[in-house]
Amino acid sequence: MGFYTLSYLCILVFLLAAGYRTYRQLTLPVHLRWEVYPVQHETTDKLAHGGSYMEDLNWWEKKHGSSLWNELKYMVPEILFIRGLWKENRSLWRVSFPFHFGLYLMIAAFGLLVLNALIVLCGEDVFSAGGAIRTLLDGLIVFTGWVGLVLGVIGSVGTLCRRMADPELRDYSSFVDYFNILFILLFFLFAFLTCLFVDPTLEGAKSYVFGLLTGGGSLSAYAPGQSFCGGAAIVLASVLVAYVPLTHMSHMFMKYFLYHNVKWDDAPNRRGGSIEAAILKNLALKPQWNAKHVEADGRKSWLDIASSASKEIK
Amino acid sequence: MKKTLKPSDMSRPSDCLCHIEPGELSPLPPPYEDFNQTTVPPLKPEKVKNIETSLDDTVAIGIPKPASKEEEEELVRRFLSGLKKLFEKENNWTFLQPLLLSMEHCAKCQTCSDACPVYEMSGKKDIYRPMFRAEVLRRIYNKYVKPGGKITAKLTGDIDLNWTTIARLAELSYRCTLCRRCATVCPIGVDNGLINHEIRKLFSQEMGIAPKELHEKGTVQHLRVGSSTGMNPLAAKDSVDFIQEEMEEITGYKVEIPWDVEGADILLLHNAGEIISWPENVGAFAIIFQAAGLSWTLSSEAAGYDAVNYGLWYDDVQFSRVAVRHADIARRLKVKKIVMGECGHAHKALTVTSDRLLTGELNIPRESAMVTLEEIVMSGKLQFDPRKNNFPVTLHDPCNYVRLMGIVEPQRRILRKIAPGFREMTPHGVDNYCCGGGSGFAIMSPYNFETWRNLVSSRKKFLQILNAFQGEPQETPKYVCAPCSNCKGAIRDLISYYHAEERSRLYYGGLVELIVNAMANMKKSIIQFGEEPSWKS
Repeated sequence: MGFYTLSYLCILVFLLAAGYRTYRQLTLPVHLRWEVYPVQHETTDKLAHGGSYMEDLNWWEKKHGSSLWNELKYMVPEILFIRGLWKENRSLWRVSFPFHFGLYLMIAAFGLLVLNALIVLCGEDVFSAGGAIRTLLDGLIVFTGWVGLVLGVIGSVGTLCRRMADPELRDYSSFVDYFNILFILLFFLFAFLTCLFVDPTLEGAKSYVFGLLTGGGSLSAYAPGQSFCGGAAIVLASVLVAYVPLTHMSHMFMKYFLYHNVKWDDAPNRRGGSIEAAILKNLALKPQWNAKHVEADGRKSWLDIASSASKEIK
Repeated sequence: MKKTLKPSDMSRPSDCLCHIEPGELSPLPPPYEDFNQTTVPPLKPEKVKNIETSLDDTVAIGIPKPASKEEEEELVRRFLSGLKKLFEKENNWTFLQPLLLSMEHCAKCQTCSDACPVYEMSGKKDIYRPMFRAEVLRRIYNKYVKPGGKITAKLTGDIDLNWTTIARLAELSYRCTLCRRCATVCPIGVDNGLINHEIRKLFSQEMGIAPKELHEKGTVQHLRVGSSTGMNPLAAKDSVDFIQEEMEEITGYKVEIPWDVEGADILLLHNAGEIISWPENVGAFAIIFQAAGLSWTLSSEAAGYDAVNYGLWYDDVQFSRVAVRHADIARRLKVKKIVMGECGHAHKALTVTSDRLLTGELNIPRESAMVTLEEIVMSGKLQFDPRKNNFPVTLHDPCNYVRLMGIVEPQRRILRKIAPGFREMTPHGVDNYCCGGGSGFAIMSPYNFETWRNLVSSRKKFLQILNAFQGEPQETPKYVCAPCSNCKGAIRDLISYYHAEERSRLYYGGLVELIVNAMANMKKSIIQFGEEPSWKS
């Protein structure tokens, strides 16, 4: 039960930390526009050259078109295959892609394990042993698990070596940067060894995830915690889940805000709209910058300051 | 062997942390090889004995050296006070979210470095990496502002904080042109250009430290006198009246430039630098707008005839004051829209960045002149004879309205129609390289900074221009179309510094000059290669 308790705790930390990060982003004040083009949700004719709706005559009289399809065409390869790095930094991509894709496959494998556990809990006949769907699901679990672990081990070893060997990366890396990669490498390594020597068809993993959903129930005689490597893999995976949102590795999901709330945030401010209301709130804030020309005294708002001339100007 | 520098070296005692040796800069092709051993000339000791010069070979700000240890400590304390304010919504709602996101998620992959023309052209000097200054700020923040930072710094990246670190960081924030090419290549979306912008703000808004050209002679003079050039409204009107007369002399076309027409459709905002340095640009706009029958006006109110907003580069407060002034002038003139002339940063400042600042009646529609001009050129209202532009033309993309605003194609469609010798630079459009004069560099020339700009930050653009005209005979005049005042200033200085007019017959100018030059009913050419216009003789 100790493993389950740890996993529950770590999932809770993940949810709290990721929730806090997301909440903080959602409640930050609307900022000045700072987009950079190409903005990938632009319409196809504009996106072809990186243009914006502001290329249209009297653009404010027209409906601002955008394309979710164009955005997805960019974001899906970017998230899955790290296309940006492929294009701009190919040698780093060679180690970074397997590293990240290995992690994605781990998430996918976990999703399939959860699905498997839910099916078992539902006791549906169509998923009975020997059936096509059951065979497919088992196959997918084994495939994503194995491929993910192999890629993850290769990627994390490669990433660690690259960071240690390349002065461009080494000179800017701290202890934590190495620790993070080492941590992930150890998880991949122990999980890989567990599969290799003890649990090649991931039956133990299925059993553990079933236990997670049932408060310790078991599907098979073997449980991963029975082997040292299996136990280590559970501990490392659980702690990793809790650790990621506490570090810069949260870029895994915070990238959404980096792109949508800054890089691609091209929403125009229309009179009487929600953006204008948010700006008016911001303009009521009272800055305390100390340089003389600002003339902030703690009582003047941004609106007062922006619409007045400082003494040095008069 | 290349000397490597780490962020922690910023606090290390040294008279010059980074020096460019002869031959280290990226090489130039013939006939410019004689510049390949050129370096930035040393600062004159008698001129810099009282200012901070310990970063590299040049000085952009000229921060006075503190007189005592106590003063140094006070400055460090004020820096930390400003740093805290950058992360408070009351003080920095303007950029808090972008700053937090970029500070917290950098993976230190260095992908941004190869995108930076300053880093590349400098011979890959570490301090010019986009993430170098960001990492310095990040370490200072983590160690000296975050709770428990002095303990965790050993794990997350250490740095010592002293006056030297701060003075160098202030200078280093003026070795980046804010072109934000680095931001476009970051796989995560981190924007080191934004962090650089925030460093400049911290120094200006908290400590009153900024280059004179941007603050005293820039935004302060702009708001006080009416223009960062020092031109008051009367001088501006006189100059434009003179341009009006000269345009008839030059082109044979009589033009009348309207002032303060209440209720006009368009308020045209020029960078006042055009009035002084490139009056033909102001005249060409007037010819096109008049010939197309537009209802338009200039404003003679202080700041209304100068579209610049240097606050965009270093200070949100000054930025806001200038933007509000511009919008208020348009509001009182009751115009239907503001059209931004050929000035890149003015485009971005008033059209995009201040979009989240101007509310109610101040939120007047703003449009790029590229769009207005495209409508005129394509409408058939004017007749063109493209053969008049029978020389090679290439287009420089001003970062501020191309990469940072998405105005990419209108100017190209115009050029394809009126300039048969048009060819692109490589790369171009949103992937363009900065002229090297961005973020105020074009107007900054203290000490030897102008030489540093010509040798380092503008070097990539010079290479691009040379490549665009590769294969053209040396004696053929070549036109670099740079529809932005600051870019034109930087390119003018490049051409002069490298003697490119003599060696390659390189000339530069705006887009409207090319349009007027191609107009069928102009009796004389407005573009006259190698001939000084009457107002310069």
